[in-house]
Amino acid sequence: MSDHFAAFSFVDRITALEPALRAQGTFAIPSRIDAFPPCLMAEAVGQLAAWVAMAHIGFRGRPVAALALETRFLQGARPGQRLDLAVEIESCDDEAVAYGGSAAIDGARVIELKQCLGPMMPVAEFDDPDALAARFALLCDGGAALDRFRGITPPRVLRESGEPGQAATGTLQVPVAAPFFNDHFPRRPVFPATLLLDAQIDLALQVAAESPHWPAKTRLTPVRMTNVKVRSFTPPGQVLTVAAQMRPPKGETATFMLSAESEGKTVATARVEIAPTDFQS
Amino acid sequence: MTTAITQNEIDAVFPKVAETMADALGCEIEDIKPNVSLIEGLDAESIDFLDMVFRLERAFKIKIPRGKIVENARGTLTEGEFEQKGLVTDVGMAQLKAYLSEVPADRFKAPMKVADIPRLFTPETFCKLVVQAQRDAKAGG
Repeated sequence: MSDHFAAFSFVDRITALEPALRAQGTFAIPSRIDAFPPCLMAEAVGQLAAWVAMAHIGFRGRPVAALALETRFLQGARPGQRLDLAVEIESCDDEAVAYGGSAAIDGARVIELKQCLGPMMPVAEFDDPDALAARFALLCDGGAALDRFRGITPPRVLRESGEPGQAATGTLQVPVAAPFFNDHFPRRPVFPATLLLDAQIDLALQVAAESPHWPAKTRLTPVRMTNVKVRSFTPPGQVLTVAAQMRPPKGETATFMLSAESEGKTVATARVEIAPTDFQS
Repeated sequence: MTTAITQNEIDAVFPKVAETMADALGCEIEDIKPNVSLIEGLDAESIDFLDMVFRLERAFKIKIPRGKIVENARGTLTEGEFEQKGLVTDVGMAQLKAYLSEVPADRFKAPMKVADIPRLFTPETFCKLVVQAQRDAKAGG
């Protein structure tokens, strides 16, 4: 099977569409994969918004991840479950799409994205506009074949310095080649921002696990991510310096300041709130 | 006829504009001086401009169409009067200096590319943008 529309595509079907306004869709998480990280749920919601936006402007442009003011992680998702996706488009034109959205499993919301903004890039730079248009028609009419996604092993940060329980800095070696690059994107491979965020959250969780703020062996989880800002594309093979710094915790929750740099230039910043698994902010 | 934006109007919105910009740029609110260059003084990039407009729209419950600052700066001039082949014309430059009155004169370099106009922008520029959007909303609704 080709990696295009498979290795990093998380909308199987668009089940309801009001052009340029809102849409609903589904993605069945293949049961054979090992895990489906929360950041990929966010990616699925963002991809549904991207389809609505691209269709609205006649596939001249495609949005890329740039700003997400707030993402709330409410529950995890397991292989074999189906994500019911929904997006509300706040505005959409040739410059950018502003949207919010959510995903639910069996009627229970698992993730919410609020106030996201994706600048539009010339679509032909990244993908075949005709192939995208045909794919959109397929998604709206019966949907794509299921079980295309074969899972991802997200790259992890190699810790190099910092203070246990407080801060950590390390290196993220973006792979030179991976199946997801053939889908994200076929004409210009870009390391998905959601995988970068996943690696940053993982680093923050490592630091949090060392903190004496919570009793030993407390299961911690990301509950909210704010102020995500992706400043530049990360090509295959790039080496990123990633940092996570914990702020003084408030109650059960601690906020981590996340950053990623390449050659001294900031690539992405965000904040993530981490709390015990049974805690809901 | 459009009346000029007053200093009182700018002062009224500046605190919230400064707070919003500090959030967007990840800097201290004390760094947001009315006349500091956003690009040269606060290292803002194009994504930050998008972020600031996005946040200002929410903070003030206004709509700021993209490209609005340059459109406002152009005033009553047509696009052809304001720029030729991507460069700001003499009459356009005079209009730009009048609109961006908070920007020191020595920062207006001639010839100026239209694409370089954002290099002049300051927090006060965004205050004017907010005030104008508030006026437009009032007039329209």
